Amino acid sequence: MTKTLTFKVIMCLLVPLLLSGCLGGGTEINDLEIVVGMGVDKDKDTGKILLTAQIVREGEIGSNSGNGGGQNAKAFWNVTATGDTIFDAIREMTHKTGNRLFVSHNHVVIYGYNIAEEGLQEHIDFFLRSHEMRPTAFILIAECDVSAVLDAKPETEELPAMNIAKLLKSHGYTSHFIEVNLKDFISCLMSPTTSPVAPIVEVTPGEESEDIYISGMAIFKNDKMVGKLNKEETRGLLWVKGKIKSGVLLVPSPGKQGKIALEILEAKTKVTPKMENGKIVMDVNIKVDTSLAEQATIENMTTLPGFEKMQKIQEEVIKHEIMAAFEKSKELKADIFGFGEMLHKKYSSKWNAIKDNWDDIYPDIVLNIDVKAEIKKADLLVKAPVPG
Amino acid sequence: MIFLLPVYAIILIINVPGLIKRKEWRELIAFFVFYTIAFVLGLMYVLDITIPSPMKGLNCLISDLLGLKYPKY
Amino acid sequence: MTNIEKGRISGPQLLFLVSGFVQGSVMLIDFAVGMAEKQTWMVILAGLLVSIPFVISYAALAKRFPGMNVIQINDIIYGRILGKLLSIYYIFFLFITLSFNIRDVGELYTIFLMPNTPFIFFLAVFTATCAYAVSRGIEVLARISYLFVITGIFVSISTTILLVDKMDFSNFLPLFELPFIRIFQGIHIMVSIPFGETIVFLMIIGYTNKDGNVIKNTLSGLLLGAFSLFIVAVRNTAVLGITQTIWTAPSFQSTRLIDIGTVLTRMDFLVGIAQTVLIFFKCCLFFYALLLAVSEILGLKSYMPLVLPLAGIEVIIAATVFQSPLDHAEITQNAGIIYSLPLMLVIPPLTLLIAKIRRLPESKGGKVT
Repeated sequence: MTKTLTFKVIMCLLVPLLLSGCLGGGTEINDLEIVVGMGVDKDKDTGKILLTAQIVREGEIGSNSGNGGGQNAKAFWNVTATGDTIFDAIREMTHKTGNRLFVSHNHVVIYGYNIAEEGLQEHIDFFLRSHEMRPTAFILIAECDVSAVLDAKPETEELPAMNIAKLLKSHGYTSHFIEVNLKDFISCLMSPTTSPVAPIVEVTPGEESEDIYISGMAIFKNDKMVGKLNKEETRGLLWVKGKIKSGVLLVPSPGKQGKIALEILEAKTKVTPKMENGKIVMDVNIKVDTSLAEQATIENMTTLPGFEKMQKIQEEVIKHEIMAAFEKSKELKADIFGFGEMLHKKYSSKWNAIKDNWDDIYPDIVLNIDVKAEIKKADLLVKAPVPG
Repeated sequence: MIFLLPVYAIILIINVPGLIKRKEWRELIAFFVFYTIAFVLGLMYVLDITIPSPMKGLNCLISDLLGLKYPKY
Repeated sequence: MTNIEKGRISGPQLLFLVSGFVQGSVMLIDFAVGMAEKQTWMVILAGLLVSIPFVISYAALAKRFPGMNVIQINDIIYGRILGKLLSIYYIFFLFITLSFNIRDVGELYTIFLMPNTPFIFFLAVFTATCAYAVSRGIEVLARISYLFVITGIFVSISTTILLVDKMDFSNFLPLFELPFIRIFQGIHIMVSIPFGETIVFLMIIGYTNKDGNVIKNTLSGLLLGAFSLFIVAVRNTAVLGITQTIWTAPSFQSTRLIDIGTVLTRMDFLVGIAQTVLIFFKCCLFFYALLLAVSEILGLKSYMPLVLPLAGIEVIIAATVFQSPLDHAEITQNAGIIYSLPLMLVIPPLTLLIAKIRRLPESKGGKVT
């Protein structure tokens, strides 16, 4: 009896020792370079790919909390390497780093604008095929040199790449751009009609160091960048896609002078595609709830007629933003709204006939925009603080 | 390679004495037949001799000779 | 004929055995996506509908001959020579399909989880564990079936719930886009692989208790397993949409998108665990059936001596039967499902029919079950 018991006990102790871990595949953390951000650019001299990888320096994270002596050792290290393809360049980096790059924690992939204008298709395969990469990584286009973007040390975060990811996730506050991860991007790439978009990041000179600023969205036709959306136009795009979370709507005061700032609380969009008599009509219905956040005028807007007036103007502003985006997309013949796919889902047989001519058909689409805005509250003031 | 011989030796040791003791001759023969096949296959694998894949043969038979296959797209 | 297997399983255990077995094919859904794309869910449902009558026939056949497995039944119905030939066909099917499944697990690990470890190592360790589990008999497998089924369903449902906010149900439209031949091939695959492979149970159902309600339990197990596969297919299509077809394993990729509160990220290990465990279960059942069948046809008293040699053969065959996952997918989608079709769709119902006509087995009092 005790013999079998001791045998079982020994097996219980041995088995975890033998089975855990892997044969020839185990790697220690010290043997890996943890990459948090990557940038792809075109090397001006050789025409090859210039890959920048932001590697975390362990030991530095956490030891410099806050602003304990700003010029202290950076918590990261940007390594560059050139290669004919991305995988080639990644392995080239071991010439400089000694350890293999571990891209599992990669949060952002930034493409330089020259690569973006040439075409991203050739340079995106690795990020999808590699089993370490995650499809949740964000994709961005840089207006300037990619290494400058990855070098700009932010004030409140230790790693620029994490900072950029944080910036992207905060798109809800202004809705002037939207985060695009790899999976969203290739969804648009794989669709024969939809044009992908991606946020544009640039470096602006700040007081002590440079600031990262996300300035708009890039429009791609297939995989080549062909144009940009500014803040207003991006908002228009997001209105139609129903991705507005919050933001500021500036409306001119209906009265004398000044502006009124409305905060967007909630927005619901419904797009109905219709094909009638050979014409394509998109009915866009938007229902917006806003609140009066600030009035920079003297006249008291916190009244029912005031609200009505503001609502009307609000609706005009939103329509204007959407039309601005639509005009831009018509100009570039780029279906950034995904209207093609919506038609595909509803009218699949008719779709097959027209999808090859989509570039020519797209500018003829009629957009019917219907906005219903409601101002729900005015926060803490019932009257503007004016005499009388 | 170094795994092959000890593993097969262990298999032999675990099974054979019990079978002989219980005089289960039929089982012993069956055991040895399969054991030999397994050993030969293992040897071929370790020595990098190509082992004919039964499925490849079946595939040839069905897809090429009989022509039963689905069109590619 | 004395039985090699002395254990008995209960009705509910049969249900979980069948369910766990069907769920073991969850990785297969990932392969079928290349063919059926956004219509994978309907291919699963259609395959299920087609398979139900056949699975009922397997259970009815086993019920008619309680305490016996299919090798014995074949001998009774078809006579000794033809019966043995059919049994050899069956054994070949078990043998080679087991090697495919073992290879599946190896591919899972080599592609996703531990790419630097030599392939054959996974196969050997996995098969050795299978061999150990099987050497304990069917009762043990039946007892652990609860655990595996619950794990599988838990992972399917929890990953689906966590991905609800990333789902876009318009990805299922338009509903009937693909040419019918692809849908047909998809249905063929579903009928042959998750559902048709339940002919394995022809070796097992015979050992259910008397009041085991064999037909009801087998059918319920099939439905439960199919439900789990269905949820996975729906989740993947809703989350990944048009990108579904480019990934090797959509289940992993969709789970990688879970990102809640920066804490619940990187959940793909859950999928890895569930898939490994379920395929393990499927392999155990295959291996058990194979051992029992070979021992039965050779007239042995017990299957124990054959466990390790057959395991050794399986490992080598699994390592060499295909050159790469691409090969595996291509051959399985064509010849692989065609050769087994008579075995799944023709022979068991035929056997049942002949049994009914000839009124076999003769039971006491001349009353036919």
